[in-house]
Amino acid sequence: MITRSLTSAGAIAALTALPFLTANTYLHHLMVLWMLYALVALSLNIVTGYLGELTFGHAAFFGLGAYVTAILATRFGIPAIIGLLAAGVVAAAFGAVIGYVALRIRGPQFAILTLGFGSIIYTVTTYWVDVTRGPMGISNIPFFSFGRMLPQLETARQSYLLALVFVVATAYACRALMASRTGRAFIAVRENDALAASLGIDVFRMKLLGFVAATAIAGLGGALYAHYIRVITPELMGLPYMAALIIMVIVGGRGTIAGPILGAFIYIGLLELLRAAGPLRMVIFAALLTASVIFLPGGVVSVAAKLIRRRPRVDLQAAS
Amino acid sequence: MDTTLLLQQIVNGLVAGMSYVLIATGLTLVFGVLRIINFAHGEFYMLGALSTFYVGRLAGLDYISSTVAATLLVALLGMLANKLFFWPLRREHEFTILLASLGLSLFLVNGTELLFGADPKYLDSPFADETVEVGSIVVTQQRLLIFLVAAVAIGGLYAFIRFSRLGKMMRATAQNPEGAALTGIDIGFVHAYTFALSCGLAALAGALVGPTVMVFPTVGSWAVLKGFIVVVMGGLGSVSGALVGGLALGVIEALAGNYISLGFKEAIGYGIIIVVLLWRPNGLFGGERIAR
Repeated sequence: MITRSLTSAGAIAALTALPFLTANTYLHHLMVLWMLYALVALSLNIVTGYLGELTFGHAAFFGLGAYVTAILATRFGIPAIIGLLAAGVVAAAFGAVIGYVALRIRGPQFAILTLGFGSIIYTVTTYWVDVTRGPMGISNIPFFSFGRMLPQLETARQSYLLALVFVVATAYACRALMASRTGRAFIAVRENDALAASLGIDVFRMKLLGFVAATAIAGLGGALYAHYIRVITPELMGLPYMAALIIMVIVGGRGTIAGPILGAFIYIGLLELLRAAGPLRMVIFAALLTASVIFLPGGVVSVAAKLIRRRPRVDLQAAS
Repeated sequence: MDTTLLLQQIVNGLVAGMSYVLIATGLTLVFGVLRIINFAHGEFYMLGALSTFYVGRLAGLDYISSTVAATLLVALLGMLANKLFFWPLRREHEFTILLASLGLSLFLVNGTELLFGADPKYLDSPFADETVEVGSIVVTQQRLLIFLVAAVAIGGLYAFIRFSRLGKMMRATAQNPEGAALTGIDIGFVHAYTFALSCGLAALAGALVGPTVMVFPTVGSWAVLKGFIVVVMGGLGSVSGALVGGLALGVIEALAGNYISLGFKEAIGYGIIIVVLLWRPNGLFGGERIAR
């Protein structure tokens, strides 16, 4: 227990120090993207890792959060901090409605149903030009700030630290969740939902709870992204983003906390390294992705766990 | 309301629907028999259209022969994909298989883009410009060809699954793979030809639809999404569900595109599956698997 706290404290300290090790702003930019993706991947992990349901709609909630705060800021001049909260609330509200409808169905049908909801949100965003400006997207979104009079977070380093706070908070919340009765109920639902129900666990309620929490965090992530990148288009909700999030969670290691964060790092780092490969970039990326899935079905963290001879906290092998 | 326009839209919808049926049948077959959701299915559709183009150009074959050649070629590719990815992974968790197929899909899209370029290609067909008129309804011969060939292919497949020895082996594997293996059925062989059939059907759809649209490496993601809608609507694993679902989706999209808005046409398919799944969680024909 003490070693675990020490490891976490060390990791947080290292992550905080990271942007001060270099003055290269491009590296800072990549670090911000890493943290933002890590945040959304952590939220997806609640549904996919802990509850064991694959959702293809997660990028839509990310985009929804981005659009909520962007519209509030550019049209009504509402401060980013309120936009951020509104993004979380709106994404959670959509998550509650969609989850209430879709979570009655399980397995592949659920995955495709969420793909359906995601595509509807994407299509409406693309064609409702009056509100969203359609495929042109929204530009000139202000930088993030904690209030109208307070300074704006203009540098990537500041955005990184802000995103890091959210990642640490989410990671801590996930750990607390897994240590709680509710978290154990999540795992029970994943492993065997009929058995879980027979023990008195309300399977549907657990799934809905996890789904709404995940969508709220995705909405927050989207809002942070919008205030950092400052230009958003409906492509945020497109198929490539959806695939990227799932790749991060599964390649990193689903059902763990380090996994999605590591997965986001690998995703961003690998794509950057492969820039040297020119046109072969995506081909090599796809080949590596496929190979990693085949040879490391438990994700990259499963290797780390084996190396330090400690079992992963949530046993993946029992999942099948 | 203008009846000619309505009838014309229904005919167009049925033709589009028949191509959805071809795509979805392959998806549903692989899911029904092997329990695999193949995200790369759309890429075999794309490869079908593209290889028809290149076989026709490089070997100097006419449209019909290059369609046949491309279908066989892509069926072989499907068997290869099975051999390399899906067969070795058969005991893994479903997420692993799904992500592997997603990786395969990325690989095929980017590989094709690298080899053949991202620019759209136009597949020539002698039937593309000729029309057939029945009363006041006009259809190009190509569209008629799509409908007829697809109908024959689906009919043939149905008979194959129902009556042939290989079809019975597929149904046995769908019901219970271990049980089927115990009775002496070579599961590996069933895997291989199910993939060949599935990818061949996707390629056939690509070769047939190719001349009516532009062909480029990313068309597959469109195809696989349509396939998913149809398959989930009809019931995963049900061939008759894919037939009814595909035709229904085609007609509804054509009417919605005409009377409501072209833009929202894409979202309507998803609207329908949401309603259908809430009403019948396993799809319209969900109860009956491919076998029964």
